Order: sequence, then structure tokens, then C-alpha cells
Amino acid sequence: MWATVGAVRRLPAAWRFAAGAIALSAASGCSLPGFGAPDPKSSEGESIYSLWQGFFVAALAVAALVWGLIVFVVLRYRRRGDEIPDQSAYNIPVEVVYTVTPLVIVAVLFGFSVAAQRAVTDQDVDPVTRIDVVGFQWSWQFVYPDEGVTVTGGPGEPPEMVLPLDEPVQLDLVSSDVNHSFWVPDFLSKRDLIQGVDNEITVTATEAGTYTGRCAEFCGLDHWRMYFSVRVVPADEFDRWLDEQRAAGGAG
Amino acid sequence: MTTLEERPPVAGEPPGPERRATGLLAALTTTDHKRIGIAYMLTAFTFFLVGGLLALVIRLELFGPGAQVVSQGRYNEMFTMHGSIMLFLFLGPFAFGLANYLVPLQVGAHDMAFPRLNALSYWFYLFGGITMLGGFLTADGAADFGWTGYTPLSSVVRSPGLGGDLWIMAVALTGLSGVLTGVNIVATVIAMRAPGMRMFRLPIFTWNMLVTSVLVLMVFPVISAAAVMLFADRQFGAHIYDAVPQDGVVGSPLLWQHLFWFFGHPEVYILVLPYFGVITEILPVFSRRPVFGYAGLVFATIAIAVLSVGVWAHHMFTTGAVLLPFFIGFSMLIAVPTGVKYFNWIGTMWGGSLTFPPPMLFALGFLFTFVMGGVTGVMLASAPIDFHVHDSYFVVAHMQYVLFGGSVFALFAGLYYWWPKFTGRVLSPGLGKAHFWMMFVGFHTTFLVQHVLGLDGMPRRVADYLDSDGFTGLNQVSTVGSFLLGASTLAFLWNVVQTGRGRLGTVAGDDPWGGHTLEWATTSPPPPESFAGPLPPIRSQRPVWDQRHPDLMTTGGHRARAGTTETPSGDGQRGDGEPGEGEPGGGDPGEPGDGGGRP
Repeated sequence: MWATVGAVRRLPAAWRFAAGAIALSAASGCSLPGFGAPDPKSSEGESIYSLWQGFFVAALAVAALVWGLIVFVVLRYRRRGDEIPDQSAYNIPVEVVYTVTPLVIVAVLFGFSVAAQRAVTDQDVDPVTRIDVVGFQWSWQFVYPDEGVTVTGGPGEPPEMVLPLDEPVQLDLVSSDVNHSFWVPDFLSKRDLIQGVDNEITVTATEAGTYTGRCAEFCGLDHWRMYFSVRVVPADEFDRWLDEQRAAGGAG
Repeated sequence: MTTLEERPPVAGEPPGPERRATGLLAALTTTDHKRIGIAYMLTAFTFFLVGGLLALVIRLELFGPGAQVVSQGRYNEMFTMHGSIMLFLFLGPFAFGLANYLVPLQVGAHDMAFPRLNALSYWFYLFGGITMLGGFLTADGAADFGWTGYTPLSSVVRSPGLGGDLWIMAVALTGLSGVLTGVNIVATVIAMRAPGMRMFRLPIFTWNMLVTSVLVLMVFPVISAAAVMLFADRQFGAHIYDAVPQDGVVGSPLLWQHLFWFFGHPEVYILVLPYFGVITEILPVFSRRPVFGYAGLVFATIAIAVLSVGVWAHHMFTTGAVLLPFFIGFSMLIAVPTGVKYFNWIGTMWGGSLTFPPPMLFALGFLFTFVMGGVTGVMLASAPIDFHVHDSYFVVAHMQYVLFGGSVFALFAGLYYWWPKFTGRVLSPGLGKAHFWMMFVGFHTTFLVQHVLGLDGMPRRVADYLDSDGFTGLNQVSTVGSFLLGASTLAFLWNVVQTGRGRLGTVAGDDPWGGHTLEWATTSPPPPESFAGPLPPIRSQRPVWDQRHPDLMTTGGHRARAGTTETPSGDGQRGDGEPGEGEPGGGDPGEPGDGGGRP
């Protein structure tokens, strides 16, 4: 333990800054900007969002260090005369440092990644709502089996999935033909639909609104047209929507 | 050795233009590693131009919402063939071409270990490539299921066209070609080295080709077998990748992904390790320094190869069917030896005397660009981040930063560096610099914004997008950049033509750059038997440098002397912070050997 602390102390400042930034962003969440990632609209997305922030800062620090060193050697060591420069080819202490330091960094990144991955992939044991998501060439069918409601899309008619706010919803993902992938960018997460693989994910939407979803796995001719929308509504409105659907015959 | 004795008696004849101009028959029947190497490079570069044109069509189509130039179906053929050409027919085979030409020269051999097998692999490669492109001539067009060929989309039900079968057989055939080349390179490096060329005196390019070839031998048989099984599924109803039970038999679509990526990830290293080798040849020469941390660099290369066969499922994080922490950890570990290489490269330049002709410019462009592909690679190795950006334009951008920003920049660095050796003339540095800056600016304009598009939610392989998606502006930036990138290749081709006609460039001589390794000890271009005279004595990793600087012989030990000068000034260049600074600098020759003590 003390050896580890010592090793961290001996790290170059840039690396320490990176490790600290990751720890900070993972602990405190959203004080950093999103660096291109959309604002998360689900609790799973929030875990991924803070992990992304940490990784971005670490990546930028590493890249900046490398770019800085390149620019430095290019300016400092450009040829000024015909003199033969220093010919030493080894420096064992330096080599040990630049081997061990990346190891420490990836160990830290690994720890945060596995923690976030658990938060994202852990299934809610007792979800209130369950939806069967069926992907087919080239649209989606959303089945609410416990409520007897089915929403089916068609080419050019994107289907709408309605989700209750702040409730974990279990999505069972199945494909009826080729591979597809269920991706709602605002939830920062996707999962494939593959014949022979039972995929279940939990989504807990945290903000009401309508979000675009897309098929991410290339699935043939009309792949790009395989979009859908997700409307997140408060629980009472969700129940009203289910009633309306049932009254209309159950199949939307 | 028998192959050497069986070769036709051309070895005694003097080299000359009349030997190279003996027509079509000579070209078709040659077993000369240099001619085969050139044939590989010419063929691969032709495929690069075809793949590049396809890329420009892709970029035009994505310039705005709605159909621009091609139909959706054609678009899917375009990106499938773009990826397939670049990965199966260009980057790998071009590296094999470089290796064909250079590995025998660098180890001091007269040819590859199996010259006829070498010719056979080239012809398999050429016909494999023609087979793949032949899909464009069929009624249903070329393969259109993506260069990854995922089942069940690539099944006969979903993709019945003949183009798919041609693609599959081409993958199997080029895979076989790669295996044969791999055998040849391994045998050449192990068995054909000149006296004194110990393993730890091999130039790093040759080391990297050896490790690449071992990787090829491990994974190319897997892709060839997987392709043949897919062919059996399509043509003979084998149901290997079929999830729908038929006659009580059920296969697994996911199996294809496992087999494909067990090949596919090491393949990425097969496509970059040779070019890492190119960079490691160029940086020392234009820094007038030995490779820094040679042994560590070799072990880093081996570590990358070992780790690369245990990371395939990071391409499958979103399938929900792989053990995430294992593949996160292994994938991230690869960053360590890659980082080590970066510090080796920077350490090589540190304290050196740097010049910036085109080979060095492209090498620096590689260093600058590839680090971005590296850090985004670590991001993608983190499964939760991958859950968001997988199969999006972020992945496309990452891949382009690795394979174009990395390998292709290094490839051009190598072309400018070895062009004098291949042809006897140095390419025009002015046009070379123009080429570099157009390519550098064009590349970053094209691909930097694609990271943002991916994070915003643009999936890869989409033929179109909606106005309301908000992807239009950045796609237009990307398309404009891609045309600058495409135009940069014209600068290169113009340079090649004008230098070839003698209007630009200069006559090279044996060693225009002050090279370190044995290919610079022979004429440019080398005679058919590769080395006309005796080789310089090989007492270190830099035999040609040692011959030029007998007082500064590379020791390969830990502390070479610093600050010794050709011009007697003796100050200023003593390498800040380097060990060896302040050691007595005298003029007595260094110890020969690499510390092993054998004379």
C-alpha cells in the first residue's frame, strides 16, 4: 500500500494530474464539460458520462505530454552543425519509469471502468415495467407484455417507445433476422440484438422528453432509416398512455 | 540453401537497365525478392487508389441529407469494398512488399528463404484482390455486408449476391497468401542472416516483420477457415453460423464475430507493427542517433503481439455475451507497450541532430497523429464508454487515426525514405513537403470532426441522415477535408512521375541519407544478387554507421560515449540529461560487439 502511494508520488506531474482529474470527476460528477458527449438522460448514462469525462481529461493529458515532448525535441535538437550528437542508447531508470507509469495509469482507468460497467450492466431484480424490443429489417416493435400493448414501426414510420420517468425499465432485446443494435444516444448506451443471444438491459430515464434512437449495427439496405423515438413521461401519464393504447386495441 | 543453388545463373551478370527491361515474361516468372517486393507495393498502391476513390464517393454521399451520388445499395457496396480493400488488399500486402524488398537486405541475405513460394504468395494475393473487386462486375454488385461480414447479414438468405461469395473466397485466398509470406519471412529472419547478424542486432523493421509474421501465422488460418465455413453455409447449407434450427441443427451467428475478431484484432497489429518498424528505421537516421532502448523496444513489440491475441472481444462489448472485465483489462494493457514505444521514439530523437526531409516529416506526422488513435483506443477499451460510441463515427475516427494517421503516414515516410534505394533517385523534397502538409491538414480536417459526430449519435455505415439530426455541418467539413486528403496523393504521384522522368529529384547514390542498416551498403537499386561486394562487418545494430564512424562504433551497451565530434569543437551537443554525458570522449575505437563478448 505504502509502496503504491510512493509510486504515485514519484509520477510526473502530468500523470498525477490525470489520475487526480479522473478521481475528481468520478467522485463529483458534472463539474467538467461533456467534451462532446450528450447530457445523460438516464441514470446508466450518468455513470458512463462521468467515466467519459475522466477518460477525456486523462487522454488529453497523455496526448499533451507526448505532443509537448515532440515539439520540444523538434525545436531543441534540430541540426545546428555537423557535430555528431550523443550516442547513448539506454537509460535503464528512465525506461523503468516510462514502463511502470503507463501501467499505473491503466490500472486506475481499469478500476473506474469496471466500477462504471457494473453500475450500467447490473439488472434491476424487480422491474415494474418490462418491454420486449424486437428488431427487424428495417424497423422496431416494442411489446409491453404485461400490459398487452404493442407498438410496431415500419420503413419511414419510426415507432415510439414510451417510458415512465425515474423507474427502472427492463428491455429484452431480440432480433427476428440479422443483428441490430438498440442505441439511444441521450442514454449513452447501446446493446446488440443477436439471434441466439438473450440480452436484457435496464434503463432508468431521469428526464422527461423525446429522444431519438437509432440502429447502430449495420443491418442491410435500409439500415440508416431504422430510427425510433423514446418519449419519457411521468408515471401517471405513462399509465394513461397504456390505457389509451389498450382502448385502441392494444396494437399501435 | 538448395533454393539458392537452383536459381538461374543470373547472379554473375552485372546489374543494368537491360536486365530489368526483359519484358513481360521476366515480370511474370521472377523470383527475385526485390521485384516481388515492388510488385506487391505497386499492386497494393493501386488498390489504395481504388479504395481512396471509393472513400471520396462515400464522403460525397454524406455531404448532406438526401441522395447525392449513389443509391443506398451502391453506397453499402462502396463502404464494404473501401474497408475490405484497405484492410485486406492494401495495408498488409504493402507491408509484405516492403518486407520482401528490405528484410533480405537488412539481414544481409541474397533473397528470401523460399523465392518460389514468395512468387506464389504474390500471385495468390493478386488474384485474391481481383476476385474481390470482381464483385463490381456481377449483376448484384459487390459484397455489401460491411468489411466485417457479420452473420446472419452475410448469409445467403440476406445477401444472396455473387459478390458476397467472391468476397469470401478472396478473403480466404489472401489469407492463404499471407500465411505463405509469413512462413517465408520467419524462415528468412531465422535462417538467412549474414555472419555477425545476431537477433539483437537485427534492424527494428526486420524485428517487427518477424513478430508480424508470427501473428500472421497465428490468425490468418483462422480467418481463412472462418471464410470457408461461411462459404459452406452459403453454398452447401452447413448452418454453422445459423441460429434458426433446421433438421435439428443449430449454429451460432455470434461464432462468426468471435472467429472474425480473433483474426481481426491481431490484424490491426499486423497492419501497424510493420509501420512502427518503418518509423523506428527513420527516426535514428535523421536524428543521427542509435535507437533508444533497443531491447525494450523489441520486448514491447513482442508484448503487443502476445497481448493482441487476448483482446478480440473488445469489439464485442455490446453483444452482451463476453466477459467484460477480462477484455477491458487486457485491451488497456496493450497501451503500455505502445506507450513504451513512444518513449523509445522520443528518446531516439532526444539529444540528436534532427533534419526534416520528407521521410522525417511523415514520421513526425505519424507520431503526432497516432497518439490520438492511441488514446481513443484506451477509451474504447473501457466497456462503458464503448457502450456509447461503439458502431458510431467515433469508432470510424479512431480507426482512421490508427490506420491512416498511423500506418499510412508511416507508409509514406517509408516510401520517401527507401524510394532512392528502390529506384536510384531521391524524390523531390519540395513536392514531398507539399504532399505532407496537404495530407496532414486534409487528414485532420476529415477525421477529427468524426469523433464529435459519433459522440452526437451518428452511427457508422449509414447511407444518409436526416436534416433534423444536426449532422450536416460537420459532415461537410469532413467531406471538404477528404478532398484535400485525396488531392495530396496527386502531389505524390506527380512527384513520382517527374522524378522518374529525371525532371525533379536527384540521383541517390548508395546511401543518400547516411543510413544505418545493411540495405544502404549496396547500390541503389541493388543488383539482382542484392550485394555486389562484401558486406561491411556486422558488429552492432548499425553496421553501415559503424563503417562510416569507426571511432564511434555502436556499442549496444549501456553507455556509449557522448559528445565526440567529427569537427573538433566538442561542446554544446552533449545531450541534456543523457547518461554518458561527461564520460571521457576520446578517439579510441569503441568495443566491438554487443556486450555478449564474442569476437
